[in-house]
Amino acid sequence: MMQFRLEKRREPSKAMLYGTPIVAVLLTMIVGAILFSLIGFDGVGAVREIFITPFTNTYKWQDLGVKAAPLIIIGVGLSIAYRANVWNIGAEGQYVVGGLAATGVALATYQMTGWWILPLMILAGMAGGALYGAIPALLRTRLGVNEILTSLMLTYVSVQAIYYLVRAPWKDPMGMGFPQTRRFAADALLPNILPGTIVHAGVPIAIIVALVAWFVMSRSVFGYQMRVVGAAPHAARYGGFSENRTIWLAFLVSGALAGLAGALEVSGPFQRMVPGFPTNYGFTAIIVAFLGRLDPLGVIFGGLVIAVTFVGGEIAQTSIGLSNSATGVFQAMMLFFLLAGDLLVRYRIRRVTPQAEARA
Amino acid sequence: MTLSRRSMLKAGVAAAALPLLGSRAFAQTEPLKVGFMLIGTVNDNGWNFGHATGAKYMKDQLGDLVAEPTIVENVPEGPDCERVLRELAQSGHKLIFATSFGYGDYVIKVAQQFPDVRFEHATGYQRSDNVGTYNARFYEGRAVCGTIAGHLSQTGKAGYIGSFPIPEVVMGVNAFVLAARKINPEFTITPVYISTWNDPAKEADAARAMIDQGIDIIAQHTDGPAALQVAEERGIVGGFGQGADMSAFAPNAQLTSIIDNWGPHYASAAQAVIDGTWVSQDVWPGIKEGEVEIGAYGPKVTEEVKAAAEAVKNGQADGSLHIFTGPINDHTGTERVAAGVTLTDAELLSMDWYVEGVIPPA
Repeated sequence: MMQFRLEKRREPSKAMLYGTPIVAVLLTMIVGAILFSLIGFDGVGAVREIFITPFTNTYKWQDLGVKAAPLIIIGVGLSIAYRANVWNIGAEGQYVVGGLAATGVALATYQMTGWWILPLMILAGMAGGALYGAIPALLRTRLGVNEILTSLMLTYVSVQAIYYLVRAPWKDPMGMGFPQTRRFAADALLPNILPGTIVHAGVPIAIIVALVAWFVMSRSVFGYQMRVVGAAPHAARYGGFSENRTIWLAFLVSGALAGLAGALEVSGPFQRMVPGFPTNYGFTAIIVAFLGRLDPLGVIFGGLVIAVTFVGGEIAQTSIGLSNSATGVFQAMMLFFLLAGDLLVRYRIRRVTPQAEARA
Repeated sequence: MTLSRRSMLKAGVAAAALPLLGSRAFAQTEPLKVGFMLIGTVNDNGWNFGHATGAKYMKDQLGDLVAEPTIVENVPEGPDCERVLRELAQSGHKLIFATSFGYGDYVIKVAQQFPDVRFEHATGYQRSDNVGTYNARFYEGRAVCGTIAGHLSQTGKAGYIGSFPIPEVVMGVNAFVLAARKINPEFTITPVYISTWNDPAKEADAARAMIDQGIDIIAQHTDGPAALQVAEERGIVGGFGQGADMSAFAPNAQLTSIIDNWGPHYASAAQAVIDGTWVSQDVWPGIKEGEVEIGAYGPKVTEEVKAAAEAVKNGQADGSLHIFTGPINDHTGTERVAAGVTLTDAELLSMDWYVEGVIPPA
């Protein structure tokens, strides 16, 4: 009987490392087309509608930008944290708290006007997200509690906070009893940057965030610290970089960025806080961060690819009647190919002679 | 492409203005494309299934006048639905049904950008020139269910799984317990709100928790059969199908079901768009018009109870019975509706208080 063993490559090829996401997307398209043809759909049509149509229709560019923006902003924050081996799984919760903090400002200033309201909401959102991210950081650094669990579970707490706030203290007096806040006043709404489109200011902000993060990560001491602590914890300790400090920084930065995305979403597309505000952007951004190789510029690519599957999935539903679940299949396939590709880039498969069996 | 469609529509409107030519000439050149936006999947066997069945009925009735209906599933109540609405409007759908309450803001917003597309929003309250609303008097069906519950319940306690405490849901809870208390004056109902229209796990959890607290009847205003399945499993008296017949999931526990029959409305709305006679309006038909139907009765419903249920159904159909006729007290015992007075539709559609017998959620 043949046996195989995974053997770590000494130096994974740079080109392959950055090539796998592209290969994963291509493989998803090919296998997807075959798979859906086999079960009796127009497989090629499905792939065309999901992956190509969003690019050929100018209206869809707007949708892509709007859908990708929060994914990119959160994904950039997560890529920084994950680089430092800090596993913030609760970006969804920090996104929600950021949205709630911005909503709090919008409602408190409801009767007021002024250019300062929106910037204040955005700052409040970032502060809210950072503070919410500080809880798992505190628990990890002081008590050694695993941050994956705490950050994840705090997400569910934040969702309950929305339900409570929109049902009682923040309920829209004109909302027919529906649990939602009132629609924000004009000065609390995120402006559209292109008249006649739906592209709001969050889209350029997402690009700027990614560029700034790329610059900081590759050119500053902070970025160096995050990378070193993640890649070589022992060396980092000798170098005088504190592990606790890194955990704090990772959570504050990724929390603040998730909070920023929350503030932008609630003031832009949502325009009010509703129970449906948590739309899993925080979780989807985890895929985005890995698809982007934990590199802020790569995250832009990752965010766009995932946005394409969402937008294209809807097109496929309206144009060729492909079920919504197909979108999920395509996303899952992409992640599968990406992870499998990663494994093969970092490890090689070796055939081994099974010694145990030989002896028996 | 868009241009030709627009001129086509103009031609269609012009044709509709000429009584002899009629609209068929237009319709034959290009069948009307009708879009449906659903919050869940068509195979939820409940609310969304009901709308998909209605879409199919429309197609069967109108034949070649309409294209195969386009159904978009699993659209969340948020900015995502705005994109889907625009997608439908841009791809030539001239009549779009948005079938969940939370789509309201976005329907109004997108409708402004597409003045030549007609939108209809189910269970909503915001209208504009090209946005109409439609709903069904589900509370009439709840009154029938409440009557059965009042007769069959041994503990006199029912649970009610709701999504959000909006008037639509509150009205259903109230109608149910008002009817049950006509049979058993001690009857109480406990609503639980799970903040979603469709989450089988949450629905089942809520059902289990309430059964543990001693209820033996369960009703729900959420989309699927999960609560009924729990009722079947636990062997309590039973529950009611919501939106469609769910007896396949709970052959013993389903006492009856409220079936949403949207088909006739969808067919007439599509016909009106084809004829060029569509106007924005608010329609709210019920048992009388056949939009709300009571399904087959389950094996536990005796002849006597069946007769009582039929009496409530027929009374509402011929107008002799309105469940919201006073005297009605609120849950604190204060009189809210005087004897002989019936709540108006406007009062029902803004109902934010519970009647006596409801144990309000904390």
